[in-house]
Amino acid sequence: MGRYIAKRLLSLVPVLFGVSIIVFFLVRLIPGSALQMYLGTQVEATPQQMVELKRIFGEDKPVPVLYVEWLGRLLRGDFGYSLRTGRPVLPDILARLPISLELTALALVLALAIGIPQGILASLQRNPIGDVANRMLGLLGLSLPQFWLAALMVLLFSGFRGWIPMGNYVRFFAHPLENLRMMILPSLAIGVGLAAVIMRYTRNSMLEVMQMDYIRTAKAKGLKRRSVILRHALKNAILPVITVAGFNTGYLIGGAIVIEEVFALPGMGRLALYAIYQRDYPLIQGIVLFIAAIFVLVNLATDLIYAVVDPRIRLDEPGRRA
Amino acid sequence: MKRLAILFVVLAAISFAGGVGAFAAGGAGNTLTIGVDQEAVGIDPHIVTAFSSMRRIDLLYNRLVRLDDNFVVVPDLAESWDVPDNTTYVFHLRKGVKFHNGREMTSADVKYSLERVLDPKTASPGRSYISLITSIDAVDRYTVKIHLSAPLASLLDGLTSDNLSIVPKEVVEANGNLQKVECGTGPFMLKEWVADNSMTLVKNPNYFEKGYPTLDKVIFRVIPEQASLLAGVKSGDLDMATIDDGAIIRQAAKDPGVVVMSKPGLNMRIFSFNTSRKPFDDVRVRDAIALALDRSQILALAEFGMGKPTGPIPVAATQWALPVSSLPFSTPDIAKAKQLLADAGYPNGLSFKITCSSTYEGGLAEAQVIQDELKSIGVNADLDVVEWGTYIDKWVKRDFDTMVELRGGSGEPDRFLYRTFYSTGAVNNFLFKDPAVDKLLDLGRTQTAFADRKATYDQLQSLLSSDAPAVFLYCPNENQVVSSKVSGFKEIGNGSIWYLTYTKVKR
Repeated sequence: MGRYIAKRLLSLVPVLFGVSIIVFFLVRLIPGSALQMYLGTQVEATPQQMVELKRIFGEDKPVPVLYVEWLGRLLRGDFGYSLRTGRPVLPDILARLPISLELTALALVLALAIGIPQGILASLQRNPIGDVANRMLGLLGLSLPQFWLAALMVLLFSGFRGWIPMGNYVRFFAHPLENLRMMILPSLAIGVGLAAVIMRYTRNSMLEVMQMDYIRTAKAKGLKRRSVILRHALKNAILPVITVAGFNTGYLIGGAIVIEEVFALPGMGRLALYAIYQRDYPLIQGIVLFIAAIFVLVNLATDLIYAVVDPRIRLDEPGRRA
Repeated sequence: MKRLAILFVVLAAISFAGGVGAFAAGGAGNTLTIGVDQEAVGIDPHIVTAFSSMRRIDLLYNRLVRLDDNFVVVPDLAESWDVPDNTTYVFHLRKGVKFHNGREMTSADVKYSLERVLDPKTASPGRSYISLITSIDAVDRYTVKIHLSAPLASLLDGLTSDNLSIVPKEVVEANGNLQKVECGTGPFMLKEWVADNSMTLVKNPNYFEKGYPTLDKVIFRVIPEQASLLAGVKSGDLDMATIDDGAIIRQAAKDPGVVVMSKPGLNMRIFSFNTSRKPFDDVRVRDAIALALDRSQILALAEFGMGKPTGPIPVAATQWALPVSSLPFSTPDIAKAKQLLADAGYPNGLSFKITCSSTYEGGLAEAQVIQDELKSIGVNADLDVVEWGTYIDKWVKRDFDTMVELRGGSGEPDRFLYRTFYSTGAVNNFLFKDPAVDKLLDLGRTQTAFADRKATYDQLQSLLSSDAPAVFLYCPNENQVVSSKVSGFKEIGNGSIWYLTYTKVKR
């Protein structure tokens, strides 16, 4: 197991290397540059000033040369400086990372807490009307645009102090209760959609599993219904749900941009948005590398959890998945 | 399952209970919280270009002179000045003004600051306002003499810019630049800056205007969504917010607990032509389009009527601006427009692209109204809606047929008009060349008597309206949404929040 983990962690290197090349060259293909944005349409610069500005904004050398220089600094731990603010890139990303991680984690917890029980209930099909209602709610959760839900929440809750961050963000370790109170709504805005997905998967998976022979055996043994459902069926049905949840979490880390924007949360998504708008290349590169690394790590975690839950899986033997 | 539900409810109850009363939002005591939609990227007055940065610098630094709410140049750090001849200015500085680090501000600081702006290595956007300065002498501790290579009537107006703030040399040299630290002479000092979240300023106890500022603290909160900004003022989380969106302002106007301050600003909406491309190289085509556009209608539809139609000089500059109705080609006349098009060789109309962007300055709403209005003279305009960075790129490369733009005007005519319409003007993206315009621009800049200059700029306004390198549409309002508890704030019209120095909050 240890060797397997080590191998997967090593795979980070070629992945990040490939990502770094792609993002470095791709982002410079977009029309416009940080220097142009800085000057806008109002500022005049003399030719001497332009020479100086080009040097400051890193536009004085060919792109491959710039890449090699950037990579060299990166390997020494230097992520460079933001073209927009002049501040070092790494501390800014690290400052915002916990906020995005917290948002993702809370959204995941909420989605699981809502989706799995709903999915189980739906699969039991005790109440045909309830089942239909459940499915409709699920469809609603899937189809509701996150940004609309977020904007609605801001409008409804802004009358009550403290439920909307509004440039007033406090860190979890400083003020845990206030922090949770202001993160609940944004997490819900994301979580609702994910909950619907999880509910569907849970329901379908449970339906399949409940048909299995070992369930009939368990019932025949005289086990209590709850025990059958939770201990035997759920444990097996949960596997595809883990995969889905893990996959979506990876996306969530970088993708909560709209939610962060609407709720004015100083997270990594918003930082990425502004960086792209302003063509702040070093910042974009830094953030994308982080997101790529997190994606790889989340996938690894998902596989490990899968292996823990299902003892039939042997990760270090390729091609032997049951 | 039930256990989970109970846990959930308990958590919710705790968090609700725990939060009640524990929030210090909206400020206790004499604190004003202002909501803005953009973070300041840096606060070095000589380097920054973004408006968001200027808003902080408004309160942290002073300049030699500043603008009051009628765009009149009034003393700031210079308590008086003489102009012995039209290329020499002598400024007499206030005595006893202290920087936030305790040291007194003297003529050496003024010399250092202006020279830093002029230095090409600083790449300062403010350089163009004072580029004609040849030398700066610190005659004595409180007197500065400035020599120009040629007369520059807009010098005083240029010196009111945030980009020309007075800074202390030792702080610049100790930190490389002033992007993250501040040491000004202004009414407020920087206490705390949490990036993309909030910036806290505290009162400068040694501010040179005794008794001011009347606030103890100013807190900037960065909230990108306009609707959230209004929600903040309504709920009391914010005392004030700068809101641009017309629809949101309309909502705010309906709310009794909130005051909307509106004033036509110095920014100007224009419809630009690339005069180097056919058919816009023909002035008749440009004039025809100018006659087809109904400024009031565009204003009503795209900005909910929040602005005022304007000519080449922003309408808020009441000393200089001629009424729009008196300018040629500035009132709609569809018949004449069609005639002009026919004369130019386009009796069946023509088609071209309008470059615009959906972000505020990119004028997508205005472009849509213009597109519609042009149909009445047989012109089919396609909207080329691009992302903001691409919009700037096209502007820089002059790669457009026509463009909807928002330009920063000035209360003093030369500062805006020269760089925009001179044949070699730095922001003359219309590629417009008219020797008659150049001649008037050169003349206005050197004249010193107001009556002479007024005559020159009156002629220039007419000429620019008929030459039409761009169609001058309107000046949007500068809007501040203010809680009814706030008193003493005034808008200047160039976005500056300087008047927070004299503002009070009633709690």
